[in-house]
Amino acid sequence: MTLNDYLPLLVMMVLALVFVGAAVLISRIFSPKRPTVEKSAPYESGILPETEPAQRFPVKFYMVAMLFVIFDVEIIFLFAWASRFNDLGWYGIGAVAIFTAFVLETLAYVWKRGALDWNVKHRARYMTAADREAA
Amino acid sequence: MTFAQVLTPPSVGWIAIAPEIVLGVGAALILLFDVQYKPKRTHLGLATAAIVATAFAFAIVQYDRVQTLSQATADQAADFVATAFPFDAMIVLDANAVFGRFAMLLVTGLGLAAGWRLFERLGARAAEGLALMLLSATGFMFMASSTHLMMVFLGLEVGSIALYVLAGITRERTESDEAAIKYFLLGSVASAVFIYGVALTYAGSGSMNLLEIQGVLARNIFTRPAVLLIGIALMVVGMGFKVSAAPFHSWAPDVYQGAPGGIVGYMAAAAKIGGFAALIRILFTAFPDFISTWGPLVAGIAALSMLLGSTVALVQDDIRRMLGYSGVAHAGFILTGVVAGGAGTGEVWFYLGVYTVQLVGAFGVVAAVTGAATSGAGIDAFRGLSKRAPFLAATFTVLLLGMAGLPLTSGFVAKFGVFTEAWQAGYEWLVIVAVLASVIAFFFYLRVIVAMYMEEPVDEAVAPPGISVRASLALASLITIVIGIVPGPLLSLAGEASPL
Repeated sequence: MTLNDYLPLLVMMVLALVFVGAAVLISRIFSPKRPTVEKSAPYESGILPETEPAQRFPVKFYMVAMLFVIFDVEIIFLFAWASRFNDLGWYGIGAVAIFTAFVLETLAYVWKRGALDWNVKHRARYMTAADREAA
Repeated sequence: MTFAQVLTPPSVGWIAIAPEIVLGVGAALILLFDVQYKPKRTHLGLATAAIVATAFAFAIVQYDRVQTLSQATADQAADFVATAFPFDAMIVLDANAVFGRFAMLLVTGLGLAAGWRLFERLGARAAEGLALMLLSATGFMFMASSTHLMMVFLGLEVGSIALYVLAGITRERTESDEAAIKYFLLGSVASAVFIYGVALTYAGSGSMNLLEIQGVLARNIFTRPAVLLIGIALMVVGMGFKVSAAPFHSWAPDVYQGAPGGIVGYMAAAAKIGGFAALIRILFTAFPDFISTWGPLVAGIAALSMLLGSTVALVQDDIRRMLGYSGVAHAGFILTGVVAGGAGTGEVWFYLGVYTVQLVGAFGVVAAVTGAATSGAGIDAFRGLSKRAPFLAATFTVLLLGMAGLPLTSGFVAKFGVFTEAWQAGYEWLVIVAVLASVIAFFFYLRVIVAMYMEEPVDEAVAPPGISVRASLALASLITIVIGIVPGPLLSLAGEASPL
């Protein structure tokens, strides 16, 4: 394997850079600029913005999104295994069983810790008395 | 060949990864037990210690297996390959991996005992802290025991990500958060640099298995190995970050200062063992013939680390920052042994083993004096410590003198070993720089000892340390002295620890 094999890749990178650069540059040179107050206001589907955006967003979704990623990744592995189920035989079943056990362990843990409880205030019920006091 | 034939299951060798399995499963069980039964924290701690001890027992079994393997005859070759390179040679069972496990598990046990008060303070998060500790040990042990760059990277990430979280585990404290985010951002960049190096190495050699890379490079003469050379350099940089070698050290003092006191010693030691284990294996197994190329690079990093670490540590008024910069200098000393190539493996492992024990012990003292869940440790808190807490002052003195490399401590034998190797490899200038840096380093270690013994005590009572803290500090000091007087057994054990 020599550097020559990477020439197409290099050409591709240069072309991509030139194309993007040219597009940005040309639109900057030729586009008309007549800013008005309305035009430079934040776009909220055509409705006039009335209040400043909230400083802190509730992050209830954060836990769910993170858990989703874990199980999403699990599906990727299970799919690959399922498509070659017969070829892999008992070895595949064993390997996937170990893998799934660890994902299930994650589920059991977050469940018991209250991460699946939508109401954040309820999470206190998953703590011990001493921990509630500390929190 | 049909597709099904490609999919033959890999050879399985459970014994080669038994300690990692014990730690990983143990971490999962600790988390599950904690949420289900809410056990006492003392019980959780004892369970964690039992898990570490079990893993250590398996490591001893592995050591025995490696001894048997080393006497394998030619007609046992197939058996040898199946045992030494299980999982399609993703994992390797050799003396290098086993010594790495010994060091890692010793440091984990010591760190757990020395930082125990932190886990008591963590409340409901104690189990998380313990599990993260076990998981990071698992990751770094995989780094020491893999011959495949992908596996090395996975181990690096498992270990590092657990450490990022541990740095910020006292999340009420902004210093802790700051340390965690700094460590995370800089660590991610270093990981990216490392994986880019892996990609370029793959591009240059056509393999990610270190043994195969070595074979490919031995068979072919490359006229333009530029891709490969950049790859090696980037991997060295990535690992240089993990072991806090200059100029990739800027995170270390900040993280050591900000992270909770009870865990810092373990964090620093574990990252050093994992980083050096992987560096040794990558450089010595895959690129032994390129030593004329990477040797000067590593020597340059070593010289810069020693000089910068020693001089900047002189002006630190925070003990933790001082230990951070001294860690930079020590990374340089260890790299001094690395430039000697495969011949220096034993000396490098010896240095790593004794230094990480001293590091965990020293941070254990700092945590006992200034608090296990707090950040920062000004030198004022140590003034007159010999009158307020004689035991802590005495152990700290032993550990600091060991780090400084005073004769009759393990640090002296370790420094002597790596300097000898570097001198024999023709790096006389590096040894001169190293000796100079050791002399400078003496000053800042002595400064703390003088503050503890010769200055007026401040009116701050030190809470008497618990039994686990006292035991771990006594053990670390004892190891420092005993190995300093009788270094033979550990030297011969480390001497066997060269990668296959």
